[in-house]
Amino acid sequence: MTAGSVDTWPDPKGVPRAPILVLGLGNLLLSDDAAGLHLHAALLAECGATEQVEFVDGGTQGLALLHYLANRRAVLVLDAVGLGAEPGSVHVLRGPAIDGLRVARSTTAHEGNALELLATARLLGDDAGEIVVVGVEPAHIGTGIGLSPQVTAGLPAAMERARAVLESMLRG
Amino acid sequence: MAQRVVVDPVTRIEGHLRLEAMLDDSNHIHDAVSSGTMWRGLEVILQGRDPRDAWAFCERICGVCTTVHALASVRCVENSLGIQVPRNADIIRNIMFLTQMVQDHVIHFYHLHALDWVDVVSALKANPAATAALAQKVSPSWPTSTEGYFKDVAATLTKFVASGQLGIFQNAYWGHPAYKLPPEANLMAVAHYLEALKWQKEVIKIHTVFGGKNPHPNYLVGGMASAISLQGDNAINIERLTMVRGLIADAIDIVENLYIPDLLAVASFYPEWTKIGGGLGNYMSYGDLPQNGIADVAKFRFPRGVILNKNLNEVLPVDPADPAQVQEEISHSWYQYPDGKNSLHPWDGVTEANYTGPKPPYKQLDENKAYSWVKAPRWKGQAMEVGPLARMLMGFASGRTDYKEVVTQALGKLKVGPEALFSTLGRTAARGLESQLAVHWLMDEYDRLIANLKAGDSATADTQFWDPSTWKAESKGCGFTEAPRGALGHWVHIKDGKIANYQIVVPSTWNASPRDAKGQHGAYEAALIGTPMADPKRPVEILRTIHSFDPCLACASHVFGPSGEKLVEVKVR
Repeated sequence: MTAGSVDTWPDPKGVPRAPILVLGLGNLLLSDDAAGLHLHAALLAECGATEQVEFVDGGTQGLALLHYLANRRAVLVLDAVGLGAEPGSVHVLRGPAIDGLRVARSTTAHEGNALELLATARLLGDDAGEIVVVGVEPAHIGTGIGLSPQVTAGLPAAMERARAVLESMLRG
Repeated sequence: MAQRVVVDPVTRIEGHLRLEAMLDDSNHIHDAVSSGTMWRGLEVILQGRDPRDAWAFCERICGVCTTVHALASVRCVENSLGIQVPRNADIIRNIMFLTQMVQDHVIHFYHLHALDWVDVVSALKANPAATAALAQKVSPSWPTSTEGYFKDVAATLTKFVASGQLGIFQNAYWGHPAYKLPPEANLMAVAHYLEALKWQKEVIKIHTVFGGKNPHPNYLVGGMASAISLQGDNAINIERLTMVRGLIADAIDIVENLYIPDLLAVASFYPEWTKIGGGLGNYMSYGDLPQNGIADVAKFRFPRGVILNKNLNEVLPVDPADPAQVQEEISHSWYQYPDGKNSLHPWDGVTEANYTGPKPPYKQLDENKAYSWVKAPRWKGQAMEVGPLARMLMGFASGRTDYKEVVTQALGKLKVGPEALFSTLGRTAARGLESQLAVHWLMDEYDRLIANLKAGDSATADTQFWDPSTWKAESKGCGFTEAPRGALGHWVHIKDGKIANYQIVVPSTWNASPRDAKGQHGAYEAALIGTPMADPKRPVEILRTIHSFDPCLACASHVFGPSGEKLVEVKVR
């Protein structure tokens, strides 16, 4: 297989893959399902991509995103996370909390999408040492562009948490 | 006592799908109901927007099929505005299309559908040496089939299962009597599943070369946004193209030496499934992979046509732009059309909800009334199946030698005749055989691109009609593609530079269609009728047939007894 082409793709003479990935997930056309994408755009605008951090808007692509997860030291996933809390609440999930979600909560806003992605990466040995999910509890998931007032109100707090996680990842 | 089995899949990707199967006294399905339970109405989002931006919204419709919606969208706007894209743009689009198709088919087989046939838990009991012997026999050209390799795979799997995180494997019916593979075949399949996952991480990078780094590739009305200069530093250059070639070579390797041998090996254990799940017997393909521009339909690699009643001696012509041919009916759907009409061509299509169903959660639907958020598309009034089987049959019946070769070879290895194609297993096999054609076409398209570039033709876009001031006040267009799951059509009506109407008929709309005014079943419904079920509480047979259509669905299954009480509730993928 094409070993060695991963880190600098698509340019063989390009820069190596950034050790930290910020991955936004969600469907832009399903209102609050896109909460993670809004967070992702805001964090990108504020921090910008560097040699240390790559930002990827993953949409709802599932397993087609596996190669973005490979060879990272840390991954920050931004997403809508439905745990039955008050809409607009911010969830920060790490390690065991993510694993617990995988088994007990298979009907989150993501229907196994993000969780399946992370589980498959683990099976392949591609899971980063540190994986953190920062998510916002959705109020409404249905056809439409734009967030509900509850989720919009929750974004500043979510941004604060996401920023803190990213800063901690950067300190390594 | 007769039962009604309800499988209520849930996904956010393509909307929700629910199936209800009616069993007779001998546990055979005698009737079935397919219902989309989620209103999407994406067309409404596009109204009033700039038609040149439509592809970027369409790309977000389905997470798995981003590129095909973008492709159908730019083609329908180009058709409307009278734009002909340069030859290189068609070739690059074909490369993107084929890459997505092969990646999607391989992942469907190993990651989703194989679990309907392969018992992962049983793989833990396999003897690695015996597995190596089996793998060397099944896939003689695959290099890693050693005892040590399978020991390692078994150890990885054991560790994964022992961690309590079966995760991606947790929702199958392990130990169900319908699983027939020996443990060694199961272990081999799991090992190759891991190989396929590793490979798909690489092959999808072809999209990043031609569509930009983002996982949502860039399309462009008028061509492709890929600047190519063989000797350049910043454009797509010879070094990047050489890497693309390497990835295509890997794709040929994995499809021919892993996917096809595994497919035939698994199929040989389930001969009864060549007689189950056939369904409608009507097949349709819009055709795709233009070799001489999108208007020259006769030169497509995927031929266009319709086959009725399994008659492979006749391929009928199809025109999605003909208002008399493709129409969407709503007699059994939760929509309303103006003036009490029941059927409209997509150019006149209306997306207006009219929910008359029961208040969820409900136990069962009434198939004599409206029962789905999916409309019922029909070709000249007939229900159609779309997808890889439709395409392979179209090529076979059109007398294309490359199709005949791969189909005849596979049928010979399984010792069955062409009638075996009209089945659940036929649908699954067609997906593999199509991949076999697709990887070689991929290399061929690559060679065509390089030849064009070397001849000095590096044009990838035609922008003469980019400015809306060059457009007619009003125009209509139809764009189509053969997505991995089947015929996909986009129809646009542009007025004063904006989208006045936009309609999308996705492959799943054809396949998941409800009944029409004449009572004709949709493709899923028809395919389930006649299926014997070993254990209605664990409806793996329903999943085998529905998964053979490759819906992008996760599902929750609810099984009910004769009096309607809930017997089992299981989550299934």
